[in-house]
Amino acid sequence: MDYRNAFAISATGMDVEKLRLDTIAANLANIHSGKGVDGKLFRPLHVTTSEATSNFAVGFEQLAGAQLHGARVLSVEASNVAPRKVYEPGNPEADDKGFVSMPGVNQVTEMVNMASALRAYEANVVAMNAAKTMALKALELGGSQ
Amino acid sequence: MSIDAVSFLAPTALPMLNPLDNTAAPSGQFATWFTQQLSDVNTQLIHADHGVQQLAAGDASNLHQVMINLEEAKLSMQLVMQVRNHLLDAYHDLLQMQV
Amino acid sequence: MFGQTEAITLDMLKMALDAASLRHQAIANNIANVNTPGYAPARVSFEAQMGALRSTLQQGNPITPGMLSGIRPVLEREAVVQESDRTALLDKEIVNMAQNTVQYEALLKALGKHMSILSAAVAEGKR
Repeated sequence: MDYRNAFAISATGMDVEKLRLDTIAANLANIHSGKGVDGKLFRPLHVTTSEATSNFAVGFEQLAGAQLHGARVLSVEASNVAPRKVYEPGNPEADDKGFVSMPGVNQVTEMVNMASALRAYEANVVAMNAAKTMALKALELGGSQ
Repeated sequence: MSIDAVSFLAPTALPMLNPLDNTAAPSGQFATWFTQQLSDVNTQLIHADHGVQQLAAGDASNLHQVMINLEEAKLSMQLVMQVRNHLLDAYHDLLQMQV
Repeated sequence: MFGQTEAITLDMLKMALDAASLRHQAIANNIANVNTPGYAPARVSFEAQMGALRSTLQQGNPITPGMLSGIRPVLEREAVVQESDRTALLDKEIVNMAQNTVQYEALLKALGKHMSILSAAVAEGKR
């Protein structure tokens, strides 16, 4: 059984969680952004993931007999969240009622997602270390030579 | 007084020098003793194998006992091998004796 | 070459090691997909197939080669985890992984000691 398959699976998991963390960081960075150069307000990014069916996207060649391939990212798209309206009559961007539209980024939700993505990332690292330990222990069969 | 103390101690000191209970003094033939040791080692090996099969079948309730049995079996095997080697050496020495 | 009991023990150890290795891949897959909606956790069924063998061994009887035929590690999928149960999924998988790692290393150790007994016999007691 190919020992590298376990590494490949954990690597896909780490990729997915890293991307999730990056989108959360982008959302949090833009929490107070105004309109962009195209005139549109920032909409929070949302990552859609699914289970991977083959591993060619990861860079490992097709591993013999592998039935499990980890996770993959389907898409990163802007979600259709309604913007937050903040009452600031003195703001040049305020509409006729005095409300300014801010990106609909919910800070609490993003922080919770970040904690969960971080835990998942660490768990993938632990899984990869365990796979490495197991493979190295198998090399010790036969005594130290 | 001092003479009494020595004779008091001597008979009770000797029994404490035999902690192993499975090394019966070879009474009678050495061959029977050696064969007995061999079959004991065989039993220990089978017992250790049994434990390993239980571990492989998913019964991990006795992990430490399995490891202990394996180590004991290995030591017994090595002990028997050493006795066998010494026996062979003694036999060779005997063969080479000039008559 | 080494006799029937040896062959059976070695066979069982090899299968159990295969099962533990496949199980680690299944757990790694579950951890990689812990945040994937609609994901069905992967499991490996192996020890469950050996209930009869376990009871035979507990009674102290030897195992015949016929008992081992047809037993092999199989990858299965459980039901999809509901959104409300998802939080416990990661913790459960980490616990499973710790247990599986110990089982794998215990099997390796047992295999190593088994081989060293044989090598002690083959080397005639000399190093």
